[in-house]
Formats: sequence, structure tokens, C-alpha cells
Amino acid sequence: MEKNEGERRPPPAPARFVSPKVVALYAILTALTTAVTMTLVIPLPTRGYYNVGESMVFFAAFTFGWRAGMICGGIGSAAADLLLGYGFFAPITLVAKGSEGLVAGIIGNIKGGAPWAKIAGIWAGGSCMVATYFFAEWIFLGFGVALTELPANVFQVLLGGLIGLMLSQAVAVYRNPRPKQA
Amino acid sequence: MTGFVDLFTEANSALHRMDPRVKIVAVILLSLLALILSELAYLLALAAFMVLLLLIGRASLSKTMFAFSYVFRVMILIVVLWPIFDPSGATVLLELGPVKITWEGVLDGLGTAIRVFCLAAVWYILMFTTSQRDLVRALVKLGLRFDFGLSLAISLRFLPTFGATVESIKDAQRARGMELDKGGVAKRARNYLAVLVPTTVTALKTADMLSLALQSRAYGARADRTYLRELSMRPADYVALAAVAVVFALSFVGRYLLSVPL
Amino acid sequence: MIPRTHSIPSEERVISVRNLKFVYDGGVEALKGINLDIKKGEFLAIVGGNGSGKTTLAKNFNGLLRPSHGTVTVMNRPAASQTVAELSRVIGYAFQNPDHQLFCSSVEEEVRFGPANLGYSDEEVKRKVEHAIETMDLQSLRGLPPFSLRLGERRRVSIASVIAMDPQIIVLDEPTTGLDAGETKVLMEKISHLNREGRTIVLITHDMRLVAESSSRVVVMSDGRIVLDSDPRGAFADIDLLRNCSLVPPPVMLLAHSLAKYGIPKDIMSPQELVLRIVLEKGGAR
Repeated sequence: MEKNEGERRPPPAPARFVSPKVVALYAILTALTTAVTMTLVIPLPTRGYYNVGESMVFFAAFTFGWRAGMICGGIGSAAADLLLGYGFFAPITLVAKGSEGLVAGIIGNIKGGAPWAKIAGIWAGGSCMVATYFFAEWIFLGFGVALTELPANVFQVLLGGLIGLMLSQAVAVYRNPRPKQA
Repeated sequence: MTGFVDLFTEANSALHRMDPRVKIVAVILLSLLALILSELAYLLALAAFMVLLLLIGRASLSKTMFAFSYVFRVMILIVVLWPIFDPSGATVLLELGPVKITWEGVLDGLGTAIRVFCLAAVWYILMFTTSQRDLVRALVKLGLRFDFGLSLAISLRFLPTFGATVESIKDAQRARGMELDKGGVAKRARNYLAVLVPTTVTALKTADMLSLALQSRAYGARADRTYLRELSMRPADYVALAAVAVVFALSFVGRYLLSVPL
Repeated sequence: MIPRTHSIPSEERVISVRNLKFVYDGGVEALKGINLDIKKGEFLAIVGGNGSGKTTLAKNFNGLLRPSHGTVTVMNRPAASQTVAELSRVIGYAFQNPDHQLFCSSVEEEVRFGPANLGYSDEEVKRKVEHAIETMDLQSLRGLPPFSLRLGERRRVSIASVIAMDPQIIVLDEPTTGLDAGETKVLMEKISHLNREGRTIVLITHDMRLVAESSSRVVVMSDGRIVLDSDPRGAFADIDLLRNCSLVPPPVMLLAHSLAKYGIPKDIMSPQELVLRIVLEKGGAR
């Protein structure tokens, strides 16, 4: 028994990992983005589908900041692309949705996330997403395909932004409910 | 839920046995190769190689059909639209008012379509033959921080759970008379909220519990953590890696340093 | 005799199920030929172990699942020809997890969502919402966000949001899971009240005490089949059958069974009844 004590590994070096809260939150937000993108789908003839996943990118960005928006929005949406059969879009989606989450998270949280800031965030973040898809499709798939995709992407940003904004508002109530005496 | 939650299919093929790190590096090199090549013949050869890999990897027919159904649609779209928007070629086939179709444009469109096929195929071959667990483990071994890898693994674990949660919540609201795809934009947005708010709140509760579970299982207690399974490279893995690397290097040097038309 | 609290069922059928089979996408046959008639005003308990097909059956009633084989008729109209939204006018369905239904920022708004979906006039919606809030005793909570409430209260909100749609039939999926004894009692009183109003109640549960206290008819399910369909008294007489279906009868019935050799009947429903019987049987020997 005593010998075993001696064979123990040296005292632990401090782990410089992100906190368990962040690991859990980011994992869940990413899975949520993927699941929502895959589940709430309106099929389309060209790039395939409108999805409500866009709203999860904005939600993560507005509620948990630009890092969550970028990482969870980007990876979650790219994973959904892979699993839905739009595999070669995944790297483009990673950049498009990641930048969308990043920009929406930064601009949307100005002044503690005032409504005008969030709307500006949707506009700026959405522009990143639409532009990324447009130029990437232009380069890889040709101008014709890029052009046919454009209106669908713009529509998706508008719908997703609206829902994401309302969702972040509604969930704020859950995260910070008024006291019972209210 | 549309699509597959997990594309991996259990089998015992050469590709299944290959070290996942080799597969990831090979996928990146082959993707770049598809972008470097522009001559139709070489792209066709690469596409044939992809088909061969799909066969070697014993890809399931249903998942292959699913994965490529959209790819094929985009390929057709490219073949049709590319020549219309690219009138730069010399050999004119057809001229209709402002629209000029050239032989070079048609060839470019075909080449682009085949390149898209190669880019899609190479990623799906990886997904078909590598379990999610191996994929995450390989990424960590390739330098992804352990905590990020853990987060990714947890995320993949919860994907089917949340997929089922969304479906269940959709049912719960339908039982209250909600019709998701009816009504104007405002009504639809509210309908989607009726599904998304409970989903998100349920998910955030899960995140809270998960964070406690991680702490109670000594997450982050020590940096020098050990692994139950280690990855090890076999001779075949080195050969495969070397082969892909050589083909990529030759193509790169040929195309950009020696200006060989590839 | 203990007075029963439920309304007297009429002969009018509200749900009629014929030879219903249901196979899930994965190939699991969850229902293997169900025949069932539910009469107006009944308080029907569907009991059975986990995975016995209770919830699958109930989801076939309101069209959330569609039969692989066989028919479901609701209020004399085939369910197959109606959408879930249409069926939700007559069948209210409260899900097991209230958090799957709650999304609004106040209880009142939450309760309004259902009737508003059905396109009633503002006046009508208001009346139905008031009735539901009153029935479920939510007046003091009406302005609060549902997420800030306790589980028992959230469940009352989710049931109120179903009642507000004014359905003739109310399906309750495990409404007492996670509630303490006090909350369970309050909730079951409300549900019995709904039954006395003349509504048909379908209660899915594996809590046999609830069944003994409130239902007028018990359907026992096992492995996708109905293995017993009787009044509660009859259902509790066959303890072995219940055990085989992973159900535990209330302690008082187990006690009555143990006392059977002393002449106590096996179909005892409540402690009061047991006392009464013991006094009657053994009283003379004093």
C-alpha cells in the first residue's frame, strides 16, 4: 500500500482549460444550431433549403456574445450542411455563418444590446453571410449559380434575423425571470 | 429530422481501418488537388478515383444517394448556367441576342461540375468511414485543444437528443392548433418561436446540468490527462499518406512552378 | 360505498379505434391491433409499463401519429381526413413535459395561444381563457412568465392552455410525474372537476393510486396490446396481471389480497372501504 503511494503520478499541473460552463454551453449551443437547422427546414429548388437555423446564429450572438455566435453558429451550421447532404458547402458555411455570428455579436451587443443595435447587427452580420455565399459561389460554382442563390439568402437572413431577435428577447425572460411578487 | 444524424457506417474496409489523422490530412490535400486541377481529363481521373474510394469504403447506397442527390442537382445547374455567364471563349457554338455560348464555356462548366463532385465526395468518404469518436480524437491528436475537442464530442452526442426534442415540441404545439407553415410572416415567426423558445430553454437547462456533471467528474483537474485508446500509425497508413502527398506535390509543382497545363 | 366523483358516461362514442396497428419508422411495432371505444363523459385511464404503447395510442387519437393499419374515428368523423389542427378542436392533448409547450412571456398569453390558433372571435377567446385560468386556479399567476413557476404550476398552465381550446376530450400524458403528494392532489381535483363538467378524460399513467381514486374505466396495455379493459375494481382484482405489466397496485389493495383468506374481498379500492369491510366481516366475532 505504501509503495503504491510512491508510484502515484506527480501532483497535477494546473489545467488551462476553458471553464466547464463554457464547454457545456458551447457544446449545447452548437448541437442546438445543428438540430434546428436540420429539423425546421423549408425545401427549395436551388441551394436546397431555407432553414430557421439562421435564427440560432443570431440568438447565440445576441445572448452569449460574438464568440458563441461565431463558434456555435459557424460549426453548428457547417455540421448541418454536412449531415443534410450539402457537404462541399460546409467550409463556406463555416466562414459565412461564423462571420455572421461574429459581426452580429459585436454590433448587436453595443449599448447592452439595445434594439437598434441588434437590428444593425442583423443587417451587418447578414451582409457578411450573403456576401460570403455570393462570392464563394461565384468562384466555385460560377456567376449564374451565385446569382440564383442571392434572393434566397437575403430572405433567409431577414426571416432568421427576425426570429433570432424575438427568441433572444423571449429567452432573456427565462434566464432572468421577474420575481414572483411582480 | 431530415438527413442522417450520423453518416458513419460500420464496416471493416481498408478505409475504415486507416488512421483517422491520415484520412483528415488526405482529405485536405485531395480537396486542394481538386482546386488545382483544371483540365477536364485530370478532373475526370480524380472523380474516378473518388468513385473507387467510395467502393473501397463500402459506402451504404442509401447514404450515398442521400449525400449526392443535392450535389448532382448543383452539377446540372452549373453545366447549364456556366456557359451562359461565361462568353469569353473563342469557339462560338450558339448566339442568341445577348447570349453567346462558347465551346470553352461548356468545357469549363463541365470541369467545374466535376470539381464540385470531387470536393463533395472526398468529404463524404471521410464521414462514411470514420466514426465521430475517431474524428474528434484525431482532431485532438492533430493539435485541437482537448477542451475544444470535448466540447465538439458533447455536441455530437446531443445532436440526436435535440433533434428529438424539436420534433416533440413541434408535436406539442401542433396539438394546440399551431400550423407551422401557415399564415403571414408575423404569424409564421410566432409559430417558429413557439417551437424554438421551449427548445432553447430545454437546451440551456441541459447545459447547466452538463456543466455540473463535468465538474463532478473532475474536468480540468490535471492537464496531463491520459487516454484510454491511443491512435497508432501502421505501415499502410504511412504508404497512403506518402502517396497522396506525392501526387499533390507533383501537381502543385507542375501547375505553378513549371506551368504545365493540368 | 364511496361516492364516485366522475360524471356518468353516456352511450355516445367520442373516440372509436378499430384494429389499429402502428409501426415506427425504425420498424418497431408499437401497437399490434387495438380496438377501443371511448364514451362521452368517461374518465378513462390508460395504464401500462414504459414502452407498452400508451402514448403512441394517444397520439393516434389526435393525428400526431397516423395509423399504419386500421382506423380512428373521432366524434363520428374519420381522423384520417382531419389535420392535427382540426382535431385539436375536439381533442386537447397535454404533453408529459410542460416545458415542451410553454413559450410565452406571461401565463395569460400562454393560455391564449391555443384558442387564438383556432380562429375564435376576440370575445370568445377571452371567455375561454378566463374559464381555463379559473378552472386551473391560475388567477394569481396570470401575469408571470411561465418559466418562473414551479413544476406543479407549470403543469397547471400547460393543462389550462389545452382547456382554453374547449375540447370535448382531454388527453393527459403522465400529468403527475415529478409532483409531490400535495400538488398531485390539487391537480387531480381539477381534472375530476373537468370530468364533472361533462368532458371526456383520457389519463395516461402508471400510478395505480391515481387510477383507483379517480377513473371510471381502466385499460391496461402491455407490449402494444390491450390486455384488460374494465372498471377499476375489476382491474385491481388481477394483481398478477398488473405485476406482469410492470404496474404496482396501491398498498391497500396488496393488503386486501393478503387478507383474502380471512374473508376480505380482493377488490378493495380505498383504506376507508377496507376498514368498513373488516368491521363488517369481523365485527360479529367481538
